[in-house]
Amino acid sequence: MTEAIRLKAKDYKSEVKPIWCPGCGHFSVLNAITKAMAGLGIDKDNTVLVSGIGCSSRLPAYVDSYGFHGVHGRGLAIAQGLKVARPDLTVLALGGDGDGFSIGGNHFIHACRRNVNITYIAMDNEVYGMTKGQASPTTPMDWDHSKLTPHGPGVRPFKPAALALAAGAPWIARGYSGNPNQMAKLIAEAVTHPGFSFLHVMSQCITFCPEQTDWKSIVSEREEPALASADEAAKLFLHEDGFQTGLLYCEQRPSWPPAGETASGDNALAGLAASFRL
Amino acid sequence: MSKRQLSIAITGAGGAGVISCGELLLQAWARQGGRGLLRKAYGPQIRGGESAALLKLTDDECYTAASHYDLVVALDWDNFARFEDEIRLGPQSWVLCDEAEALPASILAARPGIVHLPFAELASACHPEGRVNMLALGVLGGLLGLPCAGMVELAARKLARKPREYREAAAACIEQGAARRLARELQVPPTAATGACYMSGNQAAGLGALEAGIRFVAAYPITPASDVLEWMAGGLEQLGGQLLQAEDELAAINMAIGAAFGGVPAFTATSGPGLALMTESIGLAVASETPVTILNVMRGGPSTGIPTKSEQSDLNIALNGLHGDAPHLVLAPLDIADCVFTTGWAVQLAQRLQTAAIVLSDQFIGQSTAIVSEPRRCPPLAAGSAPAADGEYLRYKLTSSGVSTLAAPGDAGQRFTADGLEHNEKGTPSSRQSDHQRQLAKRQDKLTGFAFGDDWARISGNGPLALVCFGSSSAAVSEAADLLAQGGTPARVVSLRLLAPLQTDALDAALQGCTSVVVVEQNHSAQLYHYLKGQMDFPQAVHSYAMAGPVPLAPESIARAVTEVLKP
Amino acid sequence: MTSADPNPELANFLAHSLELEAEAQQRYGELAASMASHRNQPVAEFFRRMATEAEHHQQEVVELAAGMVLPQLKAWEFDWPGAEAPETSSYETLHYRMSLREAMALALANERAAEQYYRSFASDSDDPATVAAATRFADEERGHAAALGRLIAALPEQAVYHREEDDEPHMPE
Repeated sequence: MTEAIRLKAKDYKSEVKPIWCPGCGHFSVLNAITKAMAGLGIDKDNTVLVSGIGCSSRLPAYVDSYGFHGVHGRGLAIAQGLKVARPDLTVLALGGDGDGFSIGGNHFIHACRRNVNITYIAMDNEVYGMTKGQASPTTPMDWDHSKLTPHGPGVRPFKPAALALAAGAPWIARGYSGNPNQMAKLIAEAVTHPGFSFLHVMSQCITFCPEQTDWKSIVSEREEPALASADEAAKLFLHEDGFQTGLLYCEQRPSWPPAGETASGDNALAGLAASFRL
Repeated sequence: MSKRQLSIAITGAGGAGVISCGELLLQAWARQGGRGLLRKAYGPQIRGGESAALLKLTDDECYTAASHYDLVVALDWDNFARFEDEIRLGPQSWVLCDEAEALPASILAARPGIVHLPFAELASACHPEGRVNMLALGVLGGLLGLPCAGMVELAARKLARKPREYREAAAACIEQGAARRLARELQVPPTAATGACYMSGNQAAGLGALEAGIRFVAAYPITPASDVLEWMAGGLEQLGGQLLQAEDELAAINMAIGAAFGGVPAFTATSGPGLALMTESIGLAVASETPVTILNVMRGGPSTGIPTKSEQSDLNIALNGLHGDAPHLVLAPLDIADCVFTTGWAVQLAQRLQTAAIVLSDQFIGQSTAIVSEPRRCPPLAAGSAPAADGEYLRYKLTSSGVSTLAAPGDAGQRFTADGLEHNEKGTPSSRQSDHQRQLAKRQDKLTGFAFGDDWARISGNGPLALVCFGSSSAAVSEAADLLAQGGTPARVVSLRLLAPLQTDALDAALQGCTSVVVVEQNHSAQLYHYLKGQMDFPQAVHSYAMAGPVPLAPESIARAVTEVLKP
Repeated sequence: MTSADPNPELANFLAHSLELEAEAQQRYGELAASMASHRNQPVAEFFRRMATEAEHHQQEVVELAAGMVLPQLKAWEFDWPGAEAPETSSYETLHYRMSLREAMALALANERAAEQYYRSFASDSDDPATVAAATRFADEERGHAAALGRLIAALPEQAVYHREEDDEPHMPE
């Protein structure tokens, strides 16, 4: 602990250099994660970053902790299996909007419902970057930059915070890539929160959505304390513009699995085998 | 040598409790030292509908589905047609039924002896809560010479949670049934009178997995694999392990991979449709070298297929379903008891070789219950030589065995990022040809270079003919070999337990001296036959006998087909 | 826990200065590596030089703080006029094909923001030691800004469409 606390954010970065485009919001998320780790004095050996596939999912390799870069959409499943099997570890799942809300959408809502004590950071740039800029579930209806949907997706985007709330997530926050220090604080709080914590990060894509540089003028920091009632949070998430940052909703709820008594252990094996004997 | 066996089918409307009747009869039989198998057949209804308990009592443990039934006990005949393909009668068969006038044409055609017994009337007469299944249990126990008190006690144990009157009624019916004297008798096989276990293949696989160290299971329900997961849930609770019910099979396999990455041996069980969903991530386990074991309890396919019936038709997907070059382990238990050994072996191999192991069980051995001698266990694998830990930790270090040191989170100073992207020795993503080729070779070599020992197959018999099969076909093929030997054609039987990596040299040696080979399997497209032909150059003439489900492989049909094939 | 420094205001100022320069150094370093991997060598080199300068300033602060007990603040506990430390380049203006002129303009804005930050710290403080240090740093930043201004003036004219390219983006995954 004493040694860990002296580590600075940069000490939590690995030797591997990001492949992201200069200006990508994900750099900021990486900085926020390492700042949060430094702030918490987290032990690198007992921390695991798990991701799926996409630009943002490259992140685990850039952090000097244990990591798992899985397949598209399944990071949350890996992260939950890991945490349930190894409750002693600090587990963060990361991914993008396509990974988390499209191909991994089912895992997202069930992770919210299941409330395993992990942190999920969804780095939302409203676009599939690794495949050349197609619309994602959070892309605005009229965004017509993709050849795949030349007239825009024409479909209402998801509201990830509302979705998380409806699915039962007990801790919902929003960050913005333009404010890594606030994001670092949110990540530190998410890691400390005893349950599933969902941090939705508006992380700009400079390459496919250059218009997102305007987010800077839209984003606001929410002054009020986090809502503790799902009713109020529902009103907020359904009516807000999606650019309010901060801890938006937090309800204390028992996480899963409940801390049980330690079972008898391996000596129960003989009993299991014996139960078949006549 | 002709074996002595007795087969009994008990059919009735769902709700009548024919399965319980069969289970209790088999347990009472086991207490006398008997050996036997219970298969269960159902209509598509969850409750009600019709069901059948298909019993086979033998003097050995070679459990094939009965080709004919010596006795059919029909509590009613409604919708018996559903079971017509499976419940066939022999020349000596007889029928015990309540409604003699309602006999189906398929039964009448076999001209069986018919004994009428008013089950319903007798059951209500002996107790207001009387049940026909318990009466039938008493009658059948009487025919087998089983002590009445034993059946009453087993029934009381099974019905422990029911009201007292309910148990009293059961006892009264069993006693009433046991006291009946019928006009016909049964040829009862001798009993072995040695210690035995009573288990289904699914339970056996679960036990083998837990004994081999599995402490994490991710579960998504699917017929006919759900009962493995249910049994393991109870076991894991006692062992201090964890079971996580997933939202789908995509999650289940990834949860298992996550747990395994955490250093906790992990497992999931599924059937064809679930295996199809899992294949992408099984590839992830292969590429990231994360050990995981997947039990696939095969059922009729494709698509939803025939969920309640057995087939060996997932061999292709188990061997070849993964995209890219993804060497992994595929094993198949040969019978119910062998589910303990083979699943335990698979778990150990997956851990040792840091890869995915797919175990191909099927509905027949998975959901049948049998009395078996204490199952053989897979001993712990001999420790491998740990690669020298010199300098920087490289997760995917190239070693002579292909196996590199696997650190787990919490291990000091061995931090790495596991990756499904092709990577270099350190684990950093790389699309370079040299890295790709080296890592592909590493993942292949650690399997092909491993000494799997003698358990890759079960080999029996001698003769110029070889019958090659895998998994649960083993019993039917062995019995077919007996029939062929009786007919003057002795045969060698090679039952493959390890399908990938195929032990081609060992198989070649096992077939030495044989001039012809027949590959026997329960599927339509001869999947094993084509696989073996693709993997080896056989000096022998190789033939195929492939018969799709849902009716289990019959030794007589195999023997007949083989004789036909061998005709000059 | 560390006990507070006898001059908490100066300690707080130096802690902020140290973080400001460290953040500048790390961000410039990050941008340099990122530009290098995107084959924009002139800009990568420039950012690398800026990272080195920030490192020197950091060293200067460390020397000034010798023997002092600086408060150990977490990233989100610093009190900046904006979201990030003033000399930290924000991501919005970056582009992998940005010109040296654009990179220098970005750095110039950073230097000016830093000067303004130090200047306001000096004007808000009553502690003479803090005022002296803040004024010194502000003057230094002004010097850098002037030097950068001269470098920019010496640059050749730049093309208007230099960010355009003919190929489509790649599809790495």
